[in-house]
Amino acid sequence: MGETPTSAAPVALVTGGGTGIGAACCRALAAEGFCVAVHFRGSEAPARALVDSLGDAFAVRADLADPADVDALVAALKDRCGRVDVLVNNAGYNRNAPTPTMTLGDYDAVAVLARGTWYLTKLVLRRFMLRQGSGRIVNITSVVGHTGNAGQAPYTMAKAGLDALTKSLAQELAGRSILVNSVAPGFIDTDMTAELSPAARQAILARVPLGRMGTAEEVAEVVAFLATRASYMNGTVVHVNGGMYGG
Amino acid sequence: MSETDVMQKVVTILTPYAKNPEALAQVALSTHILEDLKVNSARLVDVVLAFEDEFGIEIADDDVDAVNTVGDAVRLISAKLS
Repeated sequence: MGETPTSAAPVALVTGGGTGIGAACCRALAAEGFCVAVHFRGSEAPARALVDSLGDAFAVRADLADPADVDALVAALKDRCGRVDVLVNNAGYNRNAPTPTMTLGDYDAVAVLARGTWYLTKLVLRRFMLRQGSGRIVNITSVVGHTGNAGQAPYTMAKAGLDALTKSLAQELAGRSILVNSVAPGFIDTDMTAELSPAARQAILARVPLGRMGTAEEVAEVVAFLATRASYMNGTVVHVNGGMYGG
Repeated sequence: MSETDVMQKVVTILTPYAKNPEALAQVALSTHILEDLKVNSARLVDVVLAFEDEFGIEIADDDVDAVNTVGDAVRLISAKLS
């Protein structure tokens, strides 16, 4: 972990916060005045560099697929901050393969993270938000959870499931002033999409009316809005995809 | 803390959630929290959080599942306090 936050700022936890969209969310929430807990699993160096650049932030490591790690993460947040005001469930995992050749292990590797996201959310509600009587949860899902995508069956299932979690929790928690929404990015310029071949990139862009990929900051701007000023949005999936899919 | 003291605090915590004042007036260890007191199951989490805060304990989900009566709650809390 980094240095102990000195402010009494509200606390935002961003899973998978060290890189890509997660890192942009951390920056956007820090700019909104949050103390940011930057969760990482393997990307320790970028997470710690991000923390150093944010100031009122700290890094926390956990494998969300491991319930014991999630328990420890929540205990650390309780000891360090005593509250969590915003939870951004951004951490994701993907394995690409045609379904007939995809292994059960590949499926499980994707599915177990969905379980971990649910478990982390449950604990954050139980330990923090229900007691506080307020909170915002933003789930980072994906356009492919709505459109499907060849070679990504488990990933699309997980993301669609996360949108369903958003809707269920929104109904469950609305009376407690805890709002839950999803942000479903389309194709965003990140390390993940940087690996695409030029041909694949061109094929993607042909499907995007705006004619370009989005930036992580353009997604994070929406996340920050939902985490702060969006007082009458609940159970919504906000699509950020340049017009390729409108929901 | 004696079981009597725990019982008193448990009943105090349950009181605002109990929809059956007659059962609440005759509350005993055997009183069923949902069926007799008519506490809304959706509010059980609030009761559990109040138990945790009042007694300074953490109650695991499996323990919550095993609590049906006022007596179950009193015994669980007393065991954690001892």
